[in-house]
Amino acid sequence: MSKSAVDVPPMGGFNFDLCRRNDMLAKKGVNPPSFRKTGTTIVGIVFQDGIILGADTRATEGPIVCDKNCEKIHYMAPNIYCCGAGTAADTEAVTDMVSSQLQLHRYHTGRESRVITALTLLKKHLFNYQGYVSAALVLGGVDCTGPHLHTIYPHGSTDTLPFATMGSGSLAAMAIFESKYREGLNRDEGIKLVCEAICSGVFNDLGSGSNVDVCVITKGHKEYLRNHMLPNPRTYISSRGYTFPKKTEVLITKITPLKDKEVVIEGGDAMEE
Amino acid sequence: MGDSQYSFSLTTFSPSGKLVQIEHALTAVGSGQTSLGIKAANGVVIATEKKLPSILVDETSVQKIQILTPNIGVVYSGMGPDFRVLVRKSRKQAEQYHRLYKEPIPVTQLVRETAAVMQEFTQSGGVRPFGVSLLVAGYDDKGPQLYQVDPSGSYFSWKASAMGKNVSNAKTFLEKRYTDDMELDDAVHTAILTLKEGFEGQISGKNIEIGIIGADKKFRVLTSAEIDDYLAEVE
Repeated sequence: MSKSAVDVPPMGGFNFDLCRRNDMLAKKGVNPPSFRKTGTTIVGIVFQDGIILGADTRATEGPIVCDKNCEKIHYMAPNIYCCGAGTAADTEAVTDMVSSQLQLHRYHTGRESRVITALTLLKKHLFNYQGYVSAALVLGGVDCTGPHLHTIYPHGSTDTLPFATMGSGSLAAMAIFESKYREGLNRDEGIKLVCEAICSGVFNDLGSGSNVDVCVITKGHKEYLRNHMLPNPRTYISSRGYTFPKKTEVLITKITPLKDKEVVIEGGDAMEE
Repeated sequence: MGDSQYSFSLTTFSPSGKLVQIEHALTAVGSGQTSLGIKAANGVVIATEKKLPSILVDETSVQKIQILTPNIGVVYSGMGPDFRVLVRKSRKQAEQYHRLYKEPIPVTQLVRETAAVMQEFTQSGGVRPFGVSLLVAGYDDKGPQLYQVDPSGSYFSWKASAMGKNVSNAKTFLEKRYTDDMELDDAVHTAILTLKEGFEGQISGKNIEIGIIGADKKFRVLTSAEIDDYLAEVE
């Protein structure tokens, strides 16, 4: 396509310039990317004393909200927690399995689990299943080597980041982080930032909603703040209760039995020939 | 097991109806270091001698009493390496139970599964029985429990038991000293006294190991400092 030398000022409405190109690409076999909503906002940040993880609490089945207050922050080890986006069964099963493996590892080594161990166990499993285990995770914890925050994608790739978001609301949450995150946040600032990011997902993404769960992990201590914020309370309950007046008046009552009742006497005289 | 040249079992019956390999395994246990366990009214204590082959061995690296789950611990008499294998298998079984039922494994279940493993090795091709007897101490919903598991795979629940070198003296001592309403601290003292009976040399926090589990249902191994405190009380 030749570039025009003159810059034409943009006109209102849609720009259909690329439609012919897209058509040509589709004919060649290159299809436009499909959208896969994982219906969640999960985030994590590194703050001065450790890690803060956050998640919304909405579970969806297509367009329906099936659970208004589900738990998306899963326990992995006393010092490691994992937020899960994607298919709920996959995230729960995979975090449960790796949590079990970490426990056995702790017994055998006699040491606290490291975040990188959890990371490697998870990514190995997910890669093995070539992305069919649809679990996108934000893994965070504090171990003897310091605080760590990782994201894990369903195909098994990982990133190590100071702040991370996953799920369908990740763009809304990342927008908040990109503008407001800085190093060396203290605990209250960190929790406030995480809540803001989750709320941004809750209010702007259809796949995320309801309440905000927060988990703060520091060296030797963890706090799971379940339903730390409830920005979506039920406000429509009438305190007087609801009365439903009877719409149809009963005028007469007549019962007609469908069958005549027959009385059967048992143990009577047998019929004699 | 059973797919190698040794698809026949090495543990076979003798004409008198005994499994000689298991008898020999019990002999191996009997020549191991003394260990004992006592079930108190509000907990269980297990203890063992920790005699190292030389003073050059770093005794902090050796731990004979092992934890299987947060509320179950185990000690052995006999061959250390066999014990390691059993501990590994038991921990895995306990974890699998927890994965499946989301409840901590009851002591009886874990003992049963461990005993099943030990029995397998008496009836499989090409393997020998384990040369250890285990004392499993746990505290679950049914209260404090103490089980002894033998190389044959048989297990019994005991109020107090001993195994290893000094077993007959230790058991006699325990029979005399045991009372049903013992508290955990009394049980620890009794355990120390029983170990002292047959101990060669000077007993201290460095050459015995004690593990306890109380009503808090948390099994833990006492530090050598704590053992020294108990020893001082006993003197």
